[in-house]
Amino acid sequence: MSAFGHVVSAELFKVLRKRRTYVVAGLWWGLLPILTLTAGQLLQTNLGGSFVDEGGSVSMVVQAVASPFGLARIALVGPAYLSPTFYIIVAALFAALLIGEERSQSMWKTVLVAQPNRMAVLAGKVAVAMIVVAALLLGALLASVLVGAIGMTFLPTTWAGEWGALFRLYAVQWTFMLAAVTFSFLMVFLTRNVALGMVLVFFLPALLEGLYSLYALAVGFQPVNRLNVFFQTLQLRQTLEDLPRYFFTNNLYFPARSPVTDLIAIFGDIDGGGGSPMGAIPGLLGGGVTLSHAALVMVGYIVVFGTILAWRFAQHDVD
Amino acid sequence: MRAGMHAITASSLTKRYGRTAAVDAVSFEITPGEIVGFLGPNGAGKTTTLRMLAGLIRPSGGEGRVLGARVPSATLREVGTMIEEPSFYPYMSGRDNLRHAALLHGGVPPQRIDELLAFVKMEKAATKRVKAYSQGMRQRLALARALLWRPKVLLLDEPTNGLDPVGIAEIRENLRAVARGGVTILVSSHILGEIEKLVDRILAIEKGRLVFDGPLDRLLASLDAATVRYVLRATDGALLLDALRGMGLEGEPAGDDGALVDVALEHADELVGELVRAGVSVIEARRHEGDLEDAYLRLVQADARPS
Repeated sequence: MSAFGHVVSAELFKVLRKRRTYVVAGLWWGLLPILTLTAGQLLQTNLGGSFVDEGGSVSMVVQAVASPFGLARIALVGPAYLSPTFYIIVAALFAALLIGEERSQSMWKTVLVAQPNRMAVLAGKVAVAMIVVAALLLGALLASVLVGAIGMTFLPTTWAGEWGALFRLYAVQWTFMLAAVTFSFLMVFLTRNVALGMVLVFFLPALLEGLYSLYALAVGFQPVNRLNVFFQTLQLRQTLEDLPRYFFTNNLYFPARSPVTDLIAIFGDIDGGGGSPMGAIPGLLGGGVTLSHAALVMVGYIVVFGTILAWRFAQHDVD
Repeated sequence: MRAGMHAITASSLTKRYGRTAAVDAVSFEITPGEIVGFLGPNGAGKTTTLRMLAGLIRPSGGEGRVLGARVPSATLREVGTMIEEPSFYPYMSGRDNLRHAALLHGGVPPQRIDELLAFVKMEKAATKRVKAYSQGMRQRLALARALLWRPKVLLLDEPTNGLDPVGIAEIRENLRAVARGGVTILVSSHILGEIEKLVDRILAIEKGRLVFDGPLDRLLASLDAATVRYVLRATDGALLLDALRGMGLEGEPAGDDGALVDVALEHADELVGELVRAGVSVIEARRHEGDLEDAYLRLVQADARPS
């Protein structure tokens, strides 16, 4: 086995002995689908057959949220809409375990003697984080299907759904998570402090994106004024307006958030309104972002974060 | 390893932090199978040197070689270390910590873990979480971990630090057993008596510079050749010290009625006669055994460099 393989097996051994692994899995695999199924059951028992159930609209909603497909979709979408998102929490927690703990427990001097190939150590740790994310996503999918199947025994739900598309979204979200993992590893490693690193992982993207909002508020409105004339003159305005398309979070969660349009469409139909069923949703998804655009942006982030991380790790003096 | 190759080589090994040289152009060679004591007070540069040799920090100048290859290199896989405080994953048992290290290194058969747990007498505590371990248990487990992959070179930094006399004796016995297997050992300590009985060569470092490199007996002989330390006791301690001052010697009080004094070798046989002539009733006058601790301290204090 190669040095990389040794690191992967050792770090998996470690991850499986850490309680947080099972807590995270329990939340994602157990709590989320059960709560969602319970919500579906409440909808069905309280609203099914009532005046709002004209045309079977309650059954449609119950199918959307509590069927095996619906639960599996929510297991992908839901974690992307927490704040901070469950995805980034997972990335930060396992970065803290896999790379932050080596410093907090003074383990680098042991790890890098047992395995002096530093690039193999770093690559192995990133690979284990990705394996954990894959296992969590797969487990969430399977648990949702299982809970949904149980729900079929007492709810009017079926197996219907675009399973192929959903599986692809799971797979793409998993690959996008490499950006979150490298970002988390970088923050935890650079700050040399697990708590500070995790805080930065959670809030740095939001802070930077918040600064942009401040800009938009201050200088981004019409007509030309003393503040935004500067940007107009430098012809930076268009560039700055395009920036949200490259924001980390807008692109990172694109696969997980994209099924929201389907959910909103269902609610739009129930509403019966003539307007766009999407409403404000494009804003939530990051306007103008497509899957191929998001993939390219993620590759860019992975390359930048990964390069800095590898460079700093190779240079690191274990003191 | 090629015939004639040194197990460890330091060539002008230097580590600077800003303008301060933690290790300043240290050079030495250690042949395979040698057991070398690396002595120096806290902050002298021992740990920094060991860390450079283990590939944990990059030298600012010079180079370290282990088993013929410049560090860092794949030969570091043949090295076992105990650097400073032993550290472990506290939520894992002692056995699981060893298993993790074995997996990380690769090529360690599972029975090797049991063998080493028995070697350091840790079989009964092996399933307990490390956070419940005493300092002595941690030190012994760290030694077991350092030996997991049957290293050809051991770099040990203060392996008996914080241990009681029983623990020190146990670690020393373990190291003796390892040394009999032909492993090259570089062991640092600031408590010289601990390694005096283990090593046959001394590297002494002070303020980042190597101040002595040679066999243990040469260190003692080289210092004894210049002066002799006497332990004196008299009926009147104050009179004894006054008499020594009158002879141009600076006595160091030892208890109420005694003194330690360094005398030039050529005048040593005249000491007691002179004291008696000065009216001192000498109860005891014996030559102080020049142990390693004294020799080293005198070496450092005099800034002598007999190497």
